[in-house]
Amino acid sequence: MTYTPFTQWMITTGVPQQVLELLLAVMIVATIVSIARYIIGSKTYGIYAPIILAIAYSYTGLKYGLAITLIVILTTLLSYTILRKVRMHYIARIAVNYCLLSIMLVVFFIVVERFGLGLENMTNISGLAVISIAALSDFFIKQYVKKSFKSSVLVLLGTVTVAALGWFIITRDAVSEYFLNNLWIVPLLIVFNILIGQFAGLRVKDLFRFKSISQNKDNVQK
Amino acid sequence: MFRSRMNEVLGLNRRNQEYVRPYNHPKAKALADNKIATKKLLAREGIQTSEVYKLIKNRKQLAFLDWESLPKSFVIKPNQGTGGNGILVLYGRKKGELAWIRPGGEVLSKKDLTLHIENILEGRFSMGERSDIAIIEERVRTDSFLKQYSYKGVPDLRIICFNLVPIMAMIRIPTRRSNGTANLHSGAICTGIDIGTGITTYSMHMNNKSFLSDTYEMIDSTQDLKINKKLSGVQIPNWDKILDIAVRCQKASKLGYVGVDIALDADKGPIVFELNARPGLGIQVANQAGLRWRLEKIKGLSVKSIKHGIRVAKNLFGGEVEDSIEAISGRKVININEKITLYYKSYKEGSKNDNKDREITTAFVDTGMITSRISRSYASRSGYFETMRQFDFLKCPKEFPTFKDAQDYIDEYSKNSQPDGHIIRLAKIFEDGQIVVRPVIIIKIKVSGEVLDLEMIVTEDTTHSVILGRNDLKDYLIDTSKTFK
Repeated sequence: MTYTPFTQWMITTGVPQQVLELLLAVMIVATIVSIARYIIGSKTYGIYAPIILAIAYSYTGLKYGLAITLIVILTTLLSYTILRKVRMHYIARIAVNYCLLSIMLVVFFIVVERFGLGLENMTNISGLAVISIAALSDFFIKQYVKKSFKSSVLVLLGTVTVAALGWFIITRDAVSEYFLNNLWIVPLLIVFNILIGQFAGLRVKDLFRFKSISQNKDNVQK
Repeated sequence: MFRSRMNEVLGLNRRNQEYVRPYNHPKAKALADNKIATKKLLAREGIQTSEVYKLIKNRKQLAFLDWESLPKSFVIKPNQGTGGNGILVLYGRKKGELAWIRPGGEVLSKKDLTLHIENILEGRFSMGERSDIAIIEERVRTDSFLKQYSYKGVPDLRIICFNLVPIMAMIRIPTRRSNGTANLHSGAICTGIDIGTGITTYSMHMNNKSFLSDTYEMIDSTQDLKINKKLSGVQIPNWDKILDIAVRCQKASKLGYVGVDIALDADKGPIVFELNARPGLGIQVANQAGLRWRLEKIKGLSVKSIKHGIRVAKNLFGGEVEDSIEAISGRKVININEKITLYYKSYKEGSKNDNKDREITTAFVDTGMITSRISRSYASRSGYFETMRQFDFLKCPKEFPTFKDAQDYIDEYSKNSQPDGHIIRLAKIFEDGQIVVRPVIIIKIKVSGEVLDLEMIVTEDTTHSVILGRNDLKDYLIDTSKTFK
């Protein structure tokens, strides 16, 4: 693959290509999260979770990534439900949760190896990616404890959807190649995000939320 | 239709960008997020809050807490909690034991409460990850009237104030589904309140079936009480006092845009629960009205006192219940001395040098006059010099002994004259103690963004170049606060 002189220069001047690609991916997913939040109104667990998740998915592949996500969430729910009956401190509870999670993931790998379940070649998956997905557990529990189960599941869905979208975009070769060769887009992304930061209009979600007000005809002002 | 109504709605983006961030200083926000600091501040202002029995700042204090000294019923809450999380209401104490009963009947031992307080101290229910302080305070005993609408818990009034004006109000009513809490997300009912009268309007709760968050369902009576009651048309007791407290809270807290939560105690009357620096937007659904246009009407208005703010709110936003809303809320607020743009006769819309064809001047708003007036020199300057000369040629008598004589003269004039020139009619007026006849011409002006063609009587020069009379003031509310500026 040939790159523009600038990109070439960067790669030969000590910027590992993989790191460069990853950093570009971070910027792209970050922008997607900001669009999702302020234009559409879909909530995510902060900005870090969807970014790390999208990148993890790009390492594991979406199918495997989602499967691991599902295992992580189910295990978290299970361990939380069991531990709720035990009176204990919060961090200790989370620590137990992580232990259970690790065990369950090991079991999951064994089960997949034995029975396939349509998920072959799990052995090639990067451990770091798996751990990144497992970090969702903490976000999920925190939201569950502080808000409610329903809100946590909704935010989880938002996070996974945004991450999947991010995964889709950053894994397109054409996209990553284009970005690598057109690094001038980076300042554009900054400008774009500043513009989103100024946006004061209604989010798509607001439109649904307040639909009834616009439909109510007997108190029209003006 | 859909579009224009949606423009009145305040969304999360705009709330944060244009109201929370610019009007709520970080210091003021920190105060509102801190219940103890809020209580101290409000106490200084003479505003009632629930009485604190004990503050627990660390594990040591928890270990030495004298449980026996606590009253039978109390509430444990985190100092910096969000969204009603971590609040534990205890109804009564089990006889002879160190155990307390929750509204649902569940019995909690001293050990359970200790654990709950430990969780609070660890910051589990609080914003961010900080450690927190646990507050043990008095349980509000609901006003007997409101009690019939709620399931166990305390209904809580939310009033959004901006610029010392109460903008919108609602009441959140605990239900069986919400387990006695006034939290909308857990299924409490939310009812809009007419600012003018304190009478409830629309009600809604969050849709149970739909898994999508923030979808509301309109209802008209309580849902799961033994005897369900109609929710609309209910007069909230002490309404004026509640509005007064809400605005006083805003003034004291220095929050420009605030949601004040007030409960009605059976003995003490209105008690302030907390101040919210980022009040939610669901209140718009309960009121079936947008916050945005209300806020925009109030922005920049100089509100002189709490009373004035409440009066403005009642005039502008009240009356959804009894009066027709179109009559009141469509109006704009103008000052006694209102800046207007006066367009000259030569003014043509869109012409290049239209800046030369108009001037900005001050109009005096006089509800004692029927027709608006313009002074002769201003009329001449606006391009009606010839018209004035035309009137002079009529050799109209300097004064008339009675209004009847003046009317006769006018009748005579309108019979004989062809409708030409710019004089559309003559009018008889009382000027400097004399009855006189003056010409009426059409003058184009712009008042608070709206261009109007007004019939104006040309008078001799007085202190006010332009006077707006009753005929042209129907669409405005007059703000008298700037009268003597």
